[in-house]
Parts: sequence; structure tokens; C-alpha cells
Amino acid sequence: MGVKIVPRHGKTLREKLYLPAIFGGMKTTLRHFTVNLGDTPQIKTFSYPEEQPHDIGERYRGVHRLTKREDGSVRCVACFMCATACPAECIFIEAQEREDGVDEKMPKRFDIDLLECVFCGACVEACPCDAIRMDSGIFSFIGKKREDFIQTKEQLLAREAKENA
Amino acid sequence: MVSLSVDGKRIEVRENTLLIEALLSQGISIPHFCYHPALGKDGNCRMCMVEIEGQKRPQIACDTLVKEGMVVRTKGEKIDRVKRSILEMELINHPIDCPICDQAGECSLQNYYMDVGLYESRLSTPKVRGKKHVDLGSNVVLDQERCVLCTRCVRFTEKITKTHELGVLSRGDTSVIDTFPGEKLSNPYAMNVVDLCPVGALTSKDFRFAKRVWFLQSEKAICNACARGCSIFVDHHKEKYRSEKIYRYRPRFNDAINGYFICDAGRLSYAQENALFDAQAMIRGKVSEYDYAEGKWLRLVKRYLGKTLFVLSSSLCLEELVRLQKLAKLYTIKLSAYEPDRFDECFGDTFLKCSDRSANARALPLLGIDDTKEGFQNALQDAELIVLIGRHDVALTFDAPCRKSVVVLDAGGMTCEAVELMLPVASHTQKEGTYVNIDGYVQYSACMIANDKGRKTLLELLGTVLGDGITRAQEVWEEEIVCLEPFKDLSFALLPSTPRIVL
Repeated sequence: MGVKIVPRHGKTLREKLYLPAIFGGMKTTLRHFTVNLGDTPQIKTFSYPEEQPHDIGERYRGVHRLTKREDGSVRCVACFMCATACPAECIFIEAQEREDGVDEKMPKRFDIDLLECVFCGACVEACPCDAIRMDSGIFSFIGKKREDFIQTKEQLLAREAKENA
Repeated sequence: MVSLSVDGKRIEVRENTLLIEALLSQGISIPHFCYHPALGKDGNCRMCMVEIEGQKRPQIACDTLVKEGMVVRTKGEKIDRVKRSILEMELINHPIDCPICDQAGECSLQNYYMDVGLYESRLSTPKVRGKKHVDLGSNVVLDQERCVLCTRCVRFTEKITKTHELGVLSRGDTSVIDTFPGEKLSNPYAMNVVDLCPVGALTSKDFRFAKRVWFLQSEKAICNACARGCSIFVDHHKEKYRSEKIYRYRPRFNDAINGYFICDAGRLSYAQENALFDAQAMIRGKVSEYDYAEGKWLRLVKRYLGKTLFVLSSSLCLEELVRLQKLAKLYTIKLSAYEPDRFDECFGDTFLKCSDRSANARALPLLGIDDTKEGFQNALQDAELIVLIGRHDVALTFDAPCRKSVVVLDAGGMTCEAVELMLPVASHTQKEGTYVNIDGYVQYSACMIANDKGRKTLLELLGTVLGDGITRAQEVWEEEIVCLEPFKDLSFALLPSTPRIVL
């Protein structure tokens, strides 16, 4: 294997003195400070939670939702692909016979434990039916007890995709 | 012996074997649907094509006999193209509903597609539709669209059960498997067609949507539903935050005993096993801590020294019987294995099922354990402590002339206030052990599903009482069983080969 030798920085007198670099850094800090003092719209912060982030794009992985078919029935067929792909093992599915005649199989229980979920999106990738998506745009989820973070089938189905996402 | 060359490797096989058998016995994977060792060749699926030198076209391996000096090729561009074309034809009308198919994960179509398929569909016309989720009876569900018409199921009802319920109806691409009009699949071995079916056309109603197969862990075991002791696989899984659960039993090939099949009753007996998993220790009908209950068992055995009767189940394994006998000798305990309900005349038949429902009753006379009614009643007279081991038919002890203390050491079952102590022990699939079947075949069941209730095996409990620390079947074999006359030619290492002893 070839080895690439990279010349080491910091050998000149100017660099060994440190002070020019420190003043250079201070200059940048001071510039930002004066700009911020003037409270111009250039400030890169916003007052959350009154103001919500506006950079949540189409591909942002928010809280999951279960999609529906054209007739409004659940699209998921409980094939367990998401649960198999899930590295956190946070998807709990129980399958049952489907009675509405649309298909043969559907989930009886479909729970996602958001406290265990790592929001990696592997479930969305794995789904062969496009039944699970993370396009709800919800980036913060609040609950008062642990049980609140276990999202049930009904909660996941009720969630809609983010507007103009 | 005949020697032939397969993919440049020389192999030797017996004369008059089918080429596919020769290839499979050498561990060479050869895709096939219709051939099954128990049902023989049929030659209808054309999937097992191989190239044979000197033959113009590829030949099917299942209908070719081996010949001296044959040169066979199973791999290569040319033969893969042939296989791909055949697979494409098999999949033309397939619904590709793998997400809802219970066979997914153990489906030949899926496996072969990943091996030699991987093509884009060229179909531009609508697929031929068939009936879906038809209940054929006997817990078998048919999906005609998924069928590849290998006729394994038809040949099973024709050759093995000779009940002829299934047939191929219609012609061409509308031909389907179905039961004959007005008939239902109804024979005690019907669910074997689910294992035989290489695709998802025949699935089990009992296992339907219960579990995706790739989560299951398989353990080798022996069925304990009757004296045949068929070899089985126990498929179980522990879901996150849940206890272990058995999802199904499957036949395990054993030439000496059950071949490729098991009966439906044995197959469905896993449900009883699951029910036993949550049994709790009880003292006079009240739930108790396991450790406390175990201590009480030790105290009771010591207190009633010489005045105890052990009533054994004949389904206990050989190791347990030998250890119990040792304990009985040491503590002068009487042993009886009298079971009034051992025989069920309605159950037996001429194929696999036996009227004797005990898993290990043949071991009793070999070890000299009494199982007569008179012996039991005599022993009952002067016993003060009765311990039911591996059974819980407490009513049997009610005939006793005076009041007795009754202890139950069983995997589970009902208990009442009359029972002094009910100490649950590991159930059949939670313990290892050796069983002697009705023909004298000795089999080792290695299935030890972990239990999260801290429940001990009977061998562990006996190891504590005897104080010699022997808790595993192998130790019992090496220390005690090989010294016994009927088992002197055997050893623990020999057990996987299913040795036979004279009864």
C-alpha cells in the first residue's frame, strides 16, 4: 500500500507565535457579534417553539405514519419486512385475517415504540407496499409517560403527510 | 457401484439410483419441485435440468438413471438459461403476493428466483386468476394462483394415505389443484401436504399469519403424543418482551421411524405444550415462590423417608426414570407407573399412530418398574406421601384408605387444595432426554427451550436430592445407563443414529 506524506503545518514563526491566529479568530467572532447586536434578519437562529423550523424538506425523517389505499383501508399487509429490517427492534406487529375483502392479511396490532426508534428509515426502505412512511414532518414528539411514545396502529393511520412536503 | 463425473468431480453411487438422488446425496443443490424422495419422480416440473455429455438437449435429473462414466454438468451459462426459462414459465401466472404468503422465507420459488431467475417480467397480458384462500379441510388452506402444479399433494393422497381426495382439474393454464366435488381433505395425515408443497399453494390454517418463518428457531425433538415417537422439529421464537412460544411442529426425516411425515394430532400437540409454559408453583392451591416450593419438596421427601410412593408417568425420559430409580433405592421409596388412561384404542392406525399414548412405556419393563394396577394399589396402602411425577391425575390417589400428602411434579396442569405441593418442572420441549419407541428404537430429544420462569428440569431437582450434581442427560448416560444390561451396547454419542434395542 502506498503512503502519502502530508507536510505538517505550524512550523513557521508566525504560526508558532499563535497570537495572529487568535486575533484572526477574534475578528470573526467580533464581526458576528456586532451584526447580531444590530438584530438584523441575518441571524441564523429563530425563536423556537413560537417559530417552527422551515427547513424540513421532503426527505426529512419524522414520526412514522401508515398510509391508506384509495378506498381508505389500511395499506399494510403485516408482512413484517419493516420489523425484520428494524435495527432497534421497535416495531411490534400482530397479523390477522383481513375481513374487508381487499386483501388476505392485515395488522391487528402495529406498534412503534418511539423511545426505541432510531429514525433510520430502514422500515420505509423495506416496505414492499409503501405502507409506512416518515413524511409526517413531525420532528419533536411529546409525551407525559413512556406509554405515550408507543404509537398504535390507529394513531399511525390517523397521521397525514406534511403539507407541501 | 457406478462412478460418474459431476461438474468435473468424480462421485460414486449405487447402481439404479436416479441422477437427482445421486446429486442431492452429494450435497449438490439442484432445483426441483415435483420430485420428492417419499413420492418418487413425476417429471412434470422440468426444473431439475442438467447437461449430460452425449445428449443433444438438457435432461431432467429426476427421470434419468445413473450410468457408468456419465459426465454431468449442473452449472454454467447454458443450463442456467434453461432453468431461468422454466422458472419464468412457472412464475407466469404467479400472483407474487409474497408479503402475505406464509411460505415466504422457505419457498422454493423464491430461492430459485434468487439463484437463477432475477429477470424482468415479460408478461403483457393479464394473469390467469384462481381461487384464493380456499379451506380444503383438515387445517389446509389452498391458494390456486400460487400453485406450480407439481402434484406432490395429489401423489401424497394417492400413494401415502390412499385417500385420493385431491386432483388436478381442468387443462392448460386453467388447470388447478382442488378436492374432488363434494369432498374435503379428511385424513389424519393431511397436514403433511403443507410441508410437501414447495410453494405457498398449500399452507396451514393453524400456522396462518402466526409468524414469519425467518424469525423461528428450529430445535430437534421427539414427538410425545404416542408411542411411535416421531422425529420432529420444534419451531419456536421469543418475541421481544414476551415469553418463549412454540409456533409449530414439523416432521424431521428419520428413515427408521416416521420417514418424512407425522400425524396431524402430533403436529398440533404443540398447543398443549405452550399452555404448560406458564404453570406456577402452588402450595395447597395457592401460588408460591418457586424456590420456596422447591425447598418444601426437599423437606417433604426427607420427612416421609421410607413411607413415600412415586407415581411415575410412562412418558418420562429414560434418564429421569433411571435417576428416580436410584433415588427410590436410596430412600426406600416405592415406584409405580400404573396409568389407567395409557391406551386410546380410537387413536391407533396402521401407518404411524399408536394406540399406546405413552412416549416411553417400553423403558419400564427394561428397568423393572412396575406398572400394574395391583402393584399400585398395594403400594398405595402404606404410603404416606404420594408424589405424582410427570402427571397430575390426582384423582387416582383419592382411593387411598387414609389421608395422604400429595405432591405433583409436572410441567403443569390443574391443581387443587388437596394437593400439598405442585412444583412445575420443565415440560417435554424444555428438557432433553432419551425415549424408547414402540419398536425399540432409542431416540434422543435435544430440544431445550429456555424458560424464563426459573423452572428446573426434573433431572436438576433429582440432582439436588441425590447430591451428586448430575443434571444433564449425557452425564446420566455415562454414569448410569451404560451400566444397565439392555443398554450396554449403546452410548450417548451413538444416539443420533437412532439405535435399536431388543424389547
